[in-house]
Amino acid sequence: MTDDVNKSAGDDSAGMEQAAEYALGLLTPDAASAFEAQMVTDPAAREAYAFWATTLASLTDDIAPVAPPKGVEDRINAALFGAQRKPRTILERLGSRPLAFAMTIMALTVLWVTLQPDVAPTVVPDYRAEIAAEDNSLIVLASFDVETRQLLISRTEGGARPGRTLQLWLIAGDAAPVSLGVLPDQTNVTLAVGDALVMAMAEGVLAISDEPLGGSPTGLPTGDVLAVGSVTRL
Amino acid sequence: MTELNDIEDYIARMALGDRDAFAALYRATSAKLFGVCLRVLGEQAEAEDALQEVFVKIWHNASRYQVNGLSPMTWLITIARNLSIDRLRARRKAGGGSMDEAEALADTRPGPEALTLAASDRGQIVACMNELSPDRADAVRRAYLEGETYQELADRYDQPLNTIRTWLRRSLMKLKECLSR
Repeated sequence: MTDDVNKSAGDDSAGMEQAAEYALGLLTPDAASAFEAQMVTDPAAREAYAFWATTLASLTDDIAPVAPPKGVEDRINAALFGAQRKPRTILERLGSRPLAFAMTIMALTVLWVTLQPDVAPTVVPDYRAEIAAEDNSLIVLASFDVETRQLLISRTEGGARPGRTLQLWLIAGDAAPVSLGVLPDQTNVTLAVGDALVMAMAEGVLAISDEPLGGSPTGLPTGDVLAVGSVTRL
Repeated sequence: MTELNDIEDYIARMALGDRDAFAALYRATSAKLFGVCLRVLGEQAEAEDALQEVFVKIWHNASRYQVNGLSPMTWLITIARNLSIDRLRARRKAGGGSMDEAEALADTRPGPEALTLAASDRGQIVACMNELSPDRADAVRRAYLEGETYQELADRYDQPLNTIRTWLRRSLMKLKECLSR
């Protein structure tokens, strides 16, 4: 990383300018990649980008809606879902209002986490996620086995900042992030996931944030979001 | 009238694989997004292809929406604009980077500035654009809605590249300052 990347974007007008140029697509490919990397670690850069994305999007306010021809929706559905029958998701199989149910349970459940350092994976996982920083400076592989409720974590690149710790979060739908635990220094760990989070895990997003030692004091991410990855079914 | 909260709800349900939510999102937003594609591309057939690409991307990225820090309509419009601009630039074979990933970047929640803006009157942006001189406001619009690069703007206004760059940056900072008042 260069010094430039570590500079905070909101601190100065140069950072705001760069965010605006990025949102407009005026940066060179190299400069655009550098700004994307900066956004991963710098909340001010993300805020600056969000500001410009929002401001510029409002330039479309006076563009009149035009109903697309009927065939377009059919083409989209064919491209996405083909002719196959709609598979039911885990949540749908659980009956009506499963999301609200899951969120309530999630809020009430105290997640128990045990750390078992350097345990080799012995189960066949059902879901996996690659939680990676945009610049790949931090890469954590996660695989989850529904039967055993075990989440195997393998850190293949990067680590916590000096005097700080990495904390793993599960984000499902519009619920607030739920902590899955603080990642220890070991590269391989197994986390036990509470039953109530299993459904959320299936279609969730895993994220790692930079937190003070011992983890977030608030129960929500307080530091930079360093890496993000969607959970996919194997 | 579809509320903003409904759109957030559709996207959250899409992240869980809910196709009915996808159909509802399409009903609620496709006309606006098709309008944006048409405005940028100016051509019916290509705008239809772009719209297809837009909704395929929205479906695949729905689970990332919650962490990207943008309001739902900003996110959707940004995807439609960026994919359309990518097509336009490919057509023009002009310079400039791909816009494909811009709207996919991670954040935990909207930043203070995004929140301030969301809460403020949208008319303020119109007013602030009007504070710029007409040709400078026009350059900002051209960069956003026509995807024009610095070089193309320099050619259009018959100015040196560095002058145009300074021009546009100052206009953007003036806009920012006006919106922060």
